[in-house]
Amino acid sequence: MNSIILLTSFGILNLFIGFSKSKKIIMPLVLLFLAIVFVVNLIGWNDTQTYFERMLTIDNFAIAFTGVVVLTTILVLPFAQRYVDQQDESLAEYFSLLLFSLVGAIMMVAYENLLMLFVGIEILSISMYVLAGSDKKNLKSNEAGLKYFLMGSFATGILLFGIVLIYGATGTFYISEISSAATAQSNNELTSPLLGMGLLFTLIGISFKVSVAPFHFWTPDVYEGTPTFFMAFMSTVVKAAGFAGFYKLMSVSFAGAQDIWFPTLIAMTVVTLAIGNIGAVAQNSFKRMMAYSSISHAGYLMIALLSFNDRSENAILFYSLAYSVSTVAALGILKIVADQRDDVSYNAFNGLGRTNPLLAAVMAISMCSLGGIPLTGGFFGKLFIFSAALEQDLLWLIILAILMAAVGFYYYFRVIIAMYMREPSGERVQVSALASFALIFMTVLTFVLGIAPGLLSNIL
Amino acid sequence: MTGSLFYFLTFLTLFAALGVVFSKNPVYSVLFLILTFFSLSGHYILLNAQFVAAVNIIVYAGAIMVLFLFVIMFLNLNMDTEQAQKKSVLTKVAGAISGGLLLVIMIAVLKDAEVGSYDPENFDSQIGLVENLGHLLFTKYLLPFELASVLFLVAMVGAVMLGKKETQQRHF
Repeated sequence: MNSIILLTSFGILNLFIGFSKSKKIIMPLVLLFLAIVFVVNLIGWNDTQTYFERMLTIDNFAIAFTGVVVLTTILVLPFAQRYVDQQDESLAEYFSLLLFSLVGAIMMVAYENLLMLFVGIEILSISMYVLAGSDKKNLKSNEAGLKYFLMGSFATGILLFGIVLIYGATGTFYISEISSAATAQSNNELTSPLLGMGLLFTLIGISFKVSVAPFHFWTPDVYEGTPTFFMAFMSTVVKAAGFAGFYKLMSVSFAGAQDIWFPTLIAMTVVTLAIGNIGAVAQNSFKRMMAYSSISHAGYLMIALLSFNDRSENAILFYSLAYSVSTVAALGILKIVADQRDDVSYNAFNGLGRTNPLLAAVMAISMCSLGGIPLTGGFFGKLFIFSAALEQDLLWLIILAILMAAVGFYYYFRVIIAMYMREPSGERVQVSALASFALIFMTVLTFVLGIAPGLLSNIL
Repeated sequence: MTGSLFYFLTFLTLFAALGVVFSKNPVYSVLFLILTFFSLSGHYILLNAQFVAAVNIIVYAGAIMVLFLFVIMFLNLNMDTEQAQKKSVLTKVAGAISGGLLLVIMIAVLKDAEVGSYDPENFDSQIGLVENLGHLLFTKYLLPFELASVLFLVAMVGAVMLGKKETQQRHF
């Protein structure tokens, strides 16, 4: 709750700071704001609080995921250096929208009432629609903004219809009270078919937001058109918060009705894994590849959601953190390189190992982490997810996921090959000190998660 | 009386909604949409939700529809431009199949749904009035109500940011 209040007031404050002539002060200030929120958020650890007629519950689950999204935002920000250098007029607005969208993300991980989930998803989505189209002179960015807006509002409509049907069947918006109706439904004691319909529509709505196939079709186009800086935010924060909210909904409300949704979700997981990984192979643009890669990681997170035991909460947390850190590092480097070489394909990285050893090393490590090589965070993320699934006897799904991870090596390693085995395609790339620091921090974090996963694997 | 009024309003709503989809002229579509909103407001009144009915007319049939009409006239969409872009048969067939599947599922679900009844003894006829709604909004639903302001702020900041004229000082 404190973090919501702080983020909202900092966002408004930041809009006013945007009136000042010099834009240089904004980025350090926003970093400071986020650091304050991060600390204030952690203060409430082990102290579960419920606010405003049980609308929000700030428990360890909410605090941990709030920590992940705020930390991710802190790590994304240094890559906005180019906007600062160009004295971009809308700089303060960009950052304020990021701060406001974090309010939505926190609502999505801490909600206790479906209304809060809906308002949270909307705050996050509307900021993303705007930021996707924020590069006004670029036709692709306009297309991305419009496409995301139209399809997203349609998905919102479906989600809202689902929530209304659930309300019609159970008479409540509280997720804990829905659960008893869902259990009764599953035992065929009380048959209100509206609940199943509502559940299906809600699933469709949320799946769209976290880009799970078959509702992923917007992802490559939108991510490709979105400015890289905002894509780094979109593909990490939205996904982490979305999956936390998704998991909370399924585990609290619909745990008893597992036989209704389990076949649907398992089919969606298989399709997501296949489309994400095989689609990524065919891409020549690094940015599009990262979009497909985000779909495939949604598939792995779905496995944790499906396995549905006491391990899956921790697995989702660990995986989101490891995935967010590596994705931010990879897209941050893409942003730096693409700004100077004007290219988002694999060729932009040609010979980066010779011109910029630091960038190339960080990129290689984050690619290894996304692929799931041991000693990096991504490996243990996948390991935890698979061990959670193993307890649920989903061995065939794990084998499929491992096969798909092997496909993943192909496209992740294409970048490494381009960086170390091709002739340089351009001059040395300039990196700001803050961005280098963030990149080194992310590398260290990836290794810490990969060497001492016990630090985070059992905290929930 | 109420029952037949309900069926009349339902018929009107469905007819107008179909009219929105099937009219060739976009301005007719918008006019049908206004009719849809009015008949939906009739449903709200039947449900004893007078305030929602009034808001529905003021906000949707009033403000949003004017915006719609304005945009349509602005874009100058007439019958010629609409017919110029032909959709492929395959798209139509695919749309009909997926829409039909959804329809089948909805019918299968709704035919078994129990329609709740109300208790005439304890029924509070004041339930849909502004006073009760406001009371609920400022007590039980205070937090989502307040946080919706963040949503509107985001929409406002975004609209201004996207709509603002760029000064050319960016490429100095």
